Amino acid sequence: MQPETPVRDALSTKRTGMRAQGTAISSSLAATARRTNDPLTIGIDGRWVWGTIAVIFLISLLPWRVLPYTPDLLLLVIAFWCVHDSQRVGLLTAFCLGLLIDVQSVAPLGQHALTYVLVCFGGLLIGRRLQRFDLLRQTLHMMPIFIVGISITILLTALLKDFWPGWGWAVSAIFTAALWLPFGWLLQMPSNRLASQSLGQG
Amino acid sequence: MPKNSNLALFRRGIPQEIIFIFLVVFAVTLLAVDIKMQVLDPARQIVSLGLYPLQKAVMFPRDVVILGQGVMNAAELIQSENEALQRRRIELAQVSSSSAQLATENAQLRRLLGMQNDKSEQPAVVAEILYEAPTPFNRRLIFDRGELDGVAPGMPVIDEGGVVGQIVRVTPVSSEAALLTDVVVSIPVQLARTGLRLIAFGSNQPGKIEVRYFSSDADIKPGDLLITSGIGGAYPAGLTVGKIDTVDRDASSGFAFAIATPASHPDRYRHFLILRNLLNQQSSQTPSSPQNVEGSTTNAAGDARARRSLN
Repeated sequence: MQPETPVRDALSTKRTGMRAQGTAISSSLAATARRTNDPLTIGIDGRWVWGTIAVIFLISLLPWRVLPYTPDLLLLVIAFWCVHDSQRVGLLTAFCLGLLIDVQSVAPLGQHALTYVLVCFGGLLIGRRLQRFDLLRQTLHMMPIFIVGISITILLTALLKDFWPGWGWAVSAIFTAALWLPFGWLLQMPSNRLASQSLGQG
Repeated sequence: MPKNSNLALFRRGIPQEIIFIFLVVFAVTLLAVDIKMQVLDPARQIVSLGLYPLQKAVMFPRDVVILGQGVMNAAELIQSENEALQRRRIELAQVSSSSAQLATENAQLRRLLGMQNDKSEQPAVVAEILYEAPTPFNRRLIFDRGELDGVAPGMPVIDEGGVVGQIVRVTPVSSEAALLTDVVVSIPVQLARTGLRLIAFGSNQPGKIEVRYFSSDADIKPGDLLITSGIGGAYPAGLTVGKIDTVDRDASSGFAFAIATPASHPDRYRHFLILRNLLNQQSSQTPSSPQNVEGSTTNAAGDARARRSLN
């Protein structure tokens, strides 16, 4: 799988003779796209994506979530990259990190994993549409996804455990979704800079 | 060249929907299996062991800050602690003199009755809190002592106030304790005033425990002290558990329940004591040990056996 040059792949999978032409088309297409200052086409650095996930994961290992109503930052960041970089971050990443958080927080195995997968799938479903909106509208779109995803898991766990944990988690879910705005701005900083640079050149 | 996802004309690989359905089914299965059965604990232990160095690493700054604070306020802290200890020492001197007298008297009476002496020294492990579990479903503490230090599931955890909880899971280097207020914990208790035997459970109310299954005319009132009864063998007898807040008598069902506040303070200090022997050693003891016998009829049989063995 070569997502870097999908146009070339599509054009010349079997006709190798046309490879040079295909590459030319691809690069010219990419160049046009970059000049339009469309946030969709601005490349995101993989190191930045994985770096932010790693840092937030390490922060999640700290015992600060004992406090009531604290947001799930790791869920937020994974969901954000699912929407904005679905090539790299997907459901499998969400599932694995969710399992690690389950072990760390001594929750039943699968609880966070299920939440992360549900929310990320919601993000993937409306991801393309979402990228056309600004961060405020993205936050409003993601709010129900976060709430529904987290509610399903809590309800399921409460049913299995036969114990109702109160409503603190709902506040936490809303808080998590609300942080999409500031975190989105932070996480998009490098690509925004790239966009303004390429706009300056064009 | 940066990746441009929008340039992909065709989707390749496994469709997201398939992955999604597979992962959801997998997660729900894991959830059900882990809640209903205890079979996933080895896998959890392995992952937990892998996470431990990472956790230690990210908590290092916090530990340094705590250490630094300790050094800064050392003089003040030591002075206040010293005063508290002095006060405690004087109180304990009184208690211990009368308790020594009671112990000899008790031993003598037990000899007269021909009962086995079940009091034994309890080796204990001092453990420090690593972190508190951040889930709405559990009241759990993670300690920095594990299997390598002799900690095993079922061991009681106490602090200066009384029983804090019970170890439920261990890894080689850490252990997980369920607090008394956790819904999974039940502890055999008795009223210090009347000797009424009861069972206390974790409660849905935060920070409270419930006493259930006693008849509505039982002699129990707010302010009564609950101590462990030692029945079942998981907890040694005589540890303070809590104090009754309210008693709710339901005349129609004939049963009542009471709400109590635990005497321990799991949220206040960092160090706790894990009592070591108990269950593990007791299982190797003779099965007719009176501490293991529940109910008055079986108790009488146990006494008779003990008396026979003495003769």
